[in-house]
Amino acid sequence: MKFVKFGAVTLVTLVIVAGIAIPTSLQPTSLFQFPVIPGLEEKARNIFFHVPTAWTTVVAFLVSMYYGIQYLRKRDIEYDIRSVSSASLGFLFCFLATVTGSVWAKFNWGSFWNWDPRETSIFVLLLIYGAYFALRSSLEVEETRAKLSAVYSIIAGLTVPFFIFVLPRMMGGLHPGSKGDPQGSGPVVSFTMSGNMLFIFFMSLLGFNLLYVWMLNVRVRLAKIEYQQSSEQA
Amino acid sequence: MTMMSFSTSTYALVEKDIRSEVRTRYAFNALLMFVVTAVSTILFALRSDNPSTALLSGMYWVVVFFTAMSGLSRIFVSEEERGTVLVLQLIASPTVIYFGKLLFNSALTLVLTTAVTILYVLFFPGFVINSYEILFLTVLLGSLGFAASATIIAAIIAKAGARGTLYPVLSLPVLIPLLITVMNATARALAGEPLVNALGELQVLLGYLLVMVGGSYLLFDYVWKD
Amino acid sequence: MQEFFQQNQMYVVLIVVLMIWAGILAYLWRIDRKVEKIENQMKKG
Repeated sequence: MKFVKFGAVTLVTLVIVAGIAIPTSLQPTSLFQFPVIPGLEEKARNIFFHVPTAWTTVVAFLVSMYYGIQYLRKRDIEYDIRSVSSASLGFLFCFLATVTGSVWAKFNWGSFWNWDPRETSIFVLLLIYGAYFALRSSLEVEETRAKLSAVYSIIAGLTVPFFIFVLPRMMGGLHPGSKGDPQGSGPVVSFTMSGNMLFIFFMSLLGFNLLYVWMLNVRVRLAKIEYQQSSEQA
Repeated sequence: MTMMSFSTSTYALVEKDIRSEVRTRYAFNALLMFVVTAVSTILFALRSDNPSTALLSGMYWVVVFFTAMSGLSRIFVSEEERGTVLVLQLIASPTVIYFGKLLFNSALTLVLTTAVTILYVLFFPGFVINSYEILFLTVLLGSLGFAASATIIAAIIAKAGARGTLYPVLSLPVLIPLLITVMNATARALAGEPLVNALGELQVLLGYLLVMVGGSYLLFDYVWKD
Repeated sequence: MQEFFQQNQMYVVLIVVLMIWAGILAYLWRIDRKVEKIENQMKKG
């Protein structure tokens, strides 16, 4: 765990410094220069922060689904605790991803929202999280709540591949700007990045994931304590 | 459970629901009235404006969505309200219950979409069906897909409180892939494109239907049994 | 110092982001420690 915390802090700090401080130049010559990407220029730096955030929210959702499935199989409330915790983190990251994406879109493509397939999918994920919590708050019995929210997250999870594989084909023509084409998994954009940019990008992905793991760890510990205290009082 | 008894039980269940439906005509009337209300409201809001085909195809499914949301949860909620849940759990396996309810909801949705289609053709001059094959397949697969998702979500919320508002909230995210595809396909039908153009969308609809039914079938056990 | 920041506005962004990041880290560290304290208490009691 110490490794995770240490790793998260160093990596993200590194990425912040490198992502912002490394200058762009038309003919990058050294490791410490980024190429200028036409259409994006300085705004390309957003990719180090916005994309890993979106990636993390998907990871959080999958983790939440995984723990949901584990609950259905083993009926241990601890799995449900982990499932909700991951979902709340996922919701936070999803919200951040949507907002940062929207801000980036405004400065890059002119408007805050376009119903571009990627934008739509992150928004749907936001709706799924919202529905998940709405469902949970309407159920008081602990086992029913755990059971039904697990089922719902699985059902909702079933539709996610549609967004990754289907929407790009359906609305392929809509990609504004230079977001590249959506081959491969949804949230990961793959446009041409130079070697050092790719490196920073992957460091960022890793750093954000580690950060998520740390946050999940703290969240779960806190939730377990709250749970124990409430069952002691009951 | 043999194949024979499985389908007999399922049909028996559907029959029971249809019989009670015919007796009270509750869902049927409510749905039809909702469709009429929705379409009237739109007509009123538009006054004499003629919406484009893109808008019409979108609005068509918006009406279907909200009507479905107002009516399709009844199949499980009514069982909860009438206290017949335990009886059902005793006399039939979850699979039978699921498919029975699914078939009933599918029938209801098909009736609903037929009604919406008729009303739209009658009252929106822009809604000219230039490609019957596309529209027919789209509406058929779309309705079944709708019913599939709506049924499992209905089963989930039947156990929760605040069912009325929770139902659309839970259903929408799950239905969005269906809605997007079906709206696109309907627009093609109105534009009179050849059937081949819509094959992509139709495949998606079929895929969605299979995935939803398959997933629901596997998960229904957990929802239904305590 | 002011001129440096006016010429290289990117570094302003850097400072801002670093401050936000430091804030988040501080918060995370704080709750981590709090939870650890409670956990130890519960183990003893």
